[in-house]
Amino acid sequence: MDHFEVFGLPRRLRIDGAELQRKFYELSRRYHPDFHQAAPAERQAEVLDASARLNAAYRALRDPISRIEYLVRLEEGRETKEGATVKPKAPPELLGEMFEIQEALQEAKASNRSDGLEPGARETLAAQRDRLLARYRDEEARLRGPLSEAWDAGGSAERSRVLGGFKDALATRAYLRTVIDDIDQALGEAGEGHVSHRRH
Amino acid sequence: MAYSEKVVDHYNNPRNVGSFTKDTPGVGTGLVGAPECGDVMKLQIKVNLDTGVIEDAKFKTFGCGSAIASSSLATEWLKGKTVDEASKIKNTDIVNELKLPPVKIHCSVLAEDAIKAALADYREKHVADAEASR
Repeated sequence: MDHFEVFGLPRRLRIDGAELQRKFYELSRRYHPDFHQAAPAERQAEVLDASARLNAAYRALRDPISRIEYLVRLEEGRETKEGATVKPKAPPELLGEMFEIQEALQEAKASNRSDGLEPGARETLAAQRDRLLARYRDEEARLRGPLSEAWDAGGSAERSRVLGGFKDALATRAYLRTVIDDIDQALGEAGEGHVSHRRH
Repeated sequence: MAYSEKVVDHYNNPRNVGSFTKDTPGVGTGLVGAPECGDVMKLQIKVNLDTGVIEDAKFKTFGCGSAIASSSLATEWLKGKTVDEASKIKNTDIVNELKLPPVKIHCSVLAEDAIKAALADYREKHVADAEASR
């Protein structure tokens, strides 16, 4: 059973958040272990499974972007069996641009003085970060808006094209996030309360 | 996560960091990225046009320790190989050498992609140069 099916939903991206939450609470009560204490052990185990599945499904579907990420994984899982996956591609110019930004950032950090970045460097970096953040938001708006609508409205041929679009946009978004986080880090700012996904 | 000794060594003392001018004859450039983590990797080879042997290789990677180590190791392996030999380097060779854990295998894939991209760029340019000089 996939996460959409847990909520009895079709594999579409337009989901009413309030309605989803209402269903989540309703099903949470139905599968709450406390209400099944008298049931046979086998039934109790089933309920526990259902409850875990429900939580995972809600986590994946409640946010529109993570919903798209889940949809891509779901569709890919199905498609790999047929041997046809679309490799995510960020535009090559973007890669070049990200590389240049990282290089400049490294230089700015190398000339870092004890009292912080070179005069002017901080402002330049902050301005650059803001431009990148605007593009990041544009990319998310494109994912949530036109691309999601195209998925919901499209037939199967259209859908495989949209799937490629999702992957490219998610890839672009990931690159932008990384470089934004790196600039934030260089500036010594936490950056929008976003928990960095970077590893090191 | 605990990195293997070899990863730590390459990370602390990366070999062959830097870059060649893209348009230099015999230079092939590969620029690749891993969208899952936002890493970018540039790997370049410098081929002796008479012998077809890779004389030098350089890289610059912005990413995690494993990505840096994978590309650092790749440049070491590339030097002294012919272009054909170089195309046989596989990501699994890198995984084995660096003892990369499963979650870091994509870093080695990235390095293999970078090698392939650099070789393809070299071949493309080389053919174009040969035709131009005819």
